[in-house]
Amino acid sequence: MEKKINHYNRISALFFIGVGMFFSFYGRTVEIGAWSEPGPGFMPFWSGIVLTVMAVFLLLGSFKRKEWQVMPPFFPLADSWKRVLMAFLSMVGYLLLFKPLGFTLVTFIFIAFLLKTIFPQNWKRTLIVASATAILARLIFINFLETQLPLGFLGF
Amino acid sequence: MDLLNHLVLGAQVLFTPTNIFFCFIGVLMGTLVGVLPGLGPTAAIALLLPSTFHMTPVTSIIMLAGIYYGAMYGGSTTSILVNIPGEAASVITCLDGYQMALKGRAGPALGIAAFGSFIAGTISVIGLMLVAPPLAKFALAFGPPEYFALMLLGMVVLIYLAAGSMLKALMMGVFGLLLSTIGMDSISGTQRLTFGILELSDGVGLIPAIMGLFGVAEVIVNLEEGITRSVVTTKVRDLLPNLQDWKDSIWPILRGSVLGFFIGILPGPAPVISAFTSYAVEKKLSKYPERFGTGVIEGVAGPESANNSATGGAFIPLFTLGIPCNSVIAVLLGAFMIYGIQPGPMMIDKYPDLFWGTVMSMYLGNVMLLVLNLPLIGIWVQVLKVPYPILFPIILLFCLIGVFSLNYSFVEVALMIGFGVFGYLARKLQYEMAPLILALVLGPMMESNVRLSLVISQGDPMIFLTHPISASLMAVTFVLLVSPFIPWIGKRRKKLQEKVGGDDV
Repeated sequence: MEKKINHYNRISALFFIGVGMFFSFYGRTVEIGAWSEPGPGFMPFWSGIVLTVMAVFLLLGSFKRKEWQVMPPFFPLADSWKRVLMAFLSMVGYLLLFKPLGFTLVTFIFIAFLLKTIFPQNWKRTLIVASATAILARLIFINFLETQLPLGFLGF
Repeated sequence: MDLLNHLVLGAQVLFTPTNIFFCFIGVLMGTLVGVLPGLGPTAAIALLLPSTFHMTPVTSIIMLAGIYYGAMYGGSTTSILVNIPGEAASVITCLDGYQMALKGRAGPALGIAAFGSFIAGTISVIGLMLVAPPLAKFALAFGPPEYFALMLLGMVVLIYLAAGSMLKALMMGVFGLLLSTIGMDSISGTQRLTFGILELSDGVGLIPAIMGLFGVAEVIVNLEEGITRSVVTTKVRDLLPNLQDWKDSIWPILRGSVLGFFIGILPGPAPVISAFTSYAVEKKLSKYPERFGTGVIEGVAGPESANNSATGGAFIPLFTLGIPCNSVIAVLLGAFMIYGIQPGPMMIDKYPDLFWGTVMSMYLGNVMLLVLNLPLIGIWVQVLKVPYPILFPIILLFCLIGVFSLNYSFVEVALMIGFGVFGYLARKLQYEMAPLILALVLGPMMESNVRLSLVISQGDPMIFLTHPISASLMAVTFVLLVSPFIPWIGKRRKKLQEKVGGDDV
């Protein structure tokens, strides 16, 4: 079923109402202070209220009867969501394996995984690009720029 | 005479082998990221920032500034050859540049873009040199209410130009302000929403936010369908524009340069707005406006000059008020802070070597770009031929390493991924990223200035309206906020929005 922009606005308005209220309540817990001496909670409190009010307007507006813009499908192709998910998961994986495996190895695995899963490449191309990237990145970041990157249990 | 002395000082700072080398690296990297779609100057500067930590502040700023104006050069190459703008400021160049390329005139289009950018860059550097010092003196009259009002205006201008709903852009701005309150309160020292995480004490990092919202989110959106592009394969030759080309282009270049410089001073995505405005002006002044869009050289010369000139203008608020007007300058402000330098009215007097060294490096950088880019166009074309399925993992890798190497923090990498997810979803729901970033940058300054103003006035918010400068700025802000409700202004805003369109700040 096709979605219209007001449908999306409703979802995001609810999110921002939650965010605004959270910051407002939080502002109260860390002391708003007086107008003549605003405390650390002053900005979170008032900005939170402003955001909540704006989000309420957006929410109410989304119920108005008018011609709403029809939105393209959230995922343009049937398999788009897989690519998006894979890309995010691979970054999380990189983050988790960075320290134990070391920069060079995890870079190789990361590039190879993305090349093979997102827009699948043949093995030859995958291995050549992943190795070349891992080696070049190592030379640039560790040897040339002397960036302190984890070397992992293998020592590279 | 004073000016001459300063220029000599700047030259002395610049003409050391190290500074010349890093100026070269800066403009080269800038051109490269300008050429590559999906990696803008903001992300590139953020990426390379950690690698400059072992340099002196002058060398570092020379290189980072080089990336900024180098990217403006590079952006035109992709617009002309592939019909995909390397960055938002080159969107308009696609119209006539690509048409020229299809007609076999890619050479003169690239050539005039390079020459125009060089002339404009030089004019804007002269403007920067002349305008910044007196403006810095004027800015000494600014107190907390004036600073707050100015920053508020800066944000509202950006929101006013937002491509979609103004309410949603405002919400993103306020959300940015809220995020900027995370960390240690600079006045009372209270920890706010840090959950005991050390990295959050300094606040939500600007660079993880930028890399997530612009770098990662952009790549992920492109992954949904995959970018296919065809590079104009005819040999790019005759880069030097002929006499007729020059006759047609010289006035658009000069007009674009002046226009770009003044628009550059204003807050917001100046290179983008200036390029569009220049195109509109040239079309209006042209004897044959109907031919615009079919490959006329004026349509390339004007906008390309204007977006380059705007980069020079954009440095003025930074050097004189310490306020960044767009996200690129915001990252540069971050770089200054890391070196313990507070940009603002006192900076030019306090660090003359840094200011004049950077100004002189812009001259040299422009010359380097001109000499380098014409012969290097062949290489850039080859870079463009690298398929996106191969390119995107490398861009993601650069984002990950760039953020990690900033503070060697896994928390910041996680933050970047989080911002990437948020940026991706927000784009889908038609929210703009630019107000969020600007609010994140200006938030801490706005907060301390609003609180100081209220302390000064003993709690009377009318202080913002009783000081003449802040009152005028507030009045403009108010007009901008209510104007969409006034029908004839609302229509004009719509037109302006259609022009600006881009999301990059």
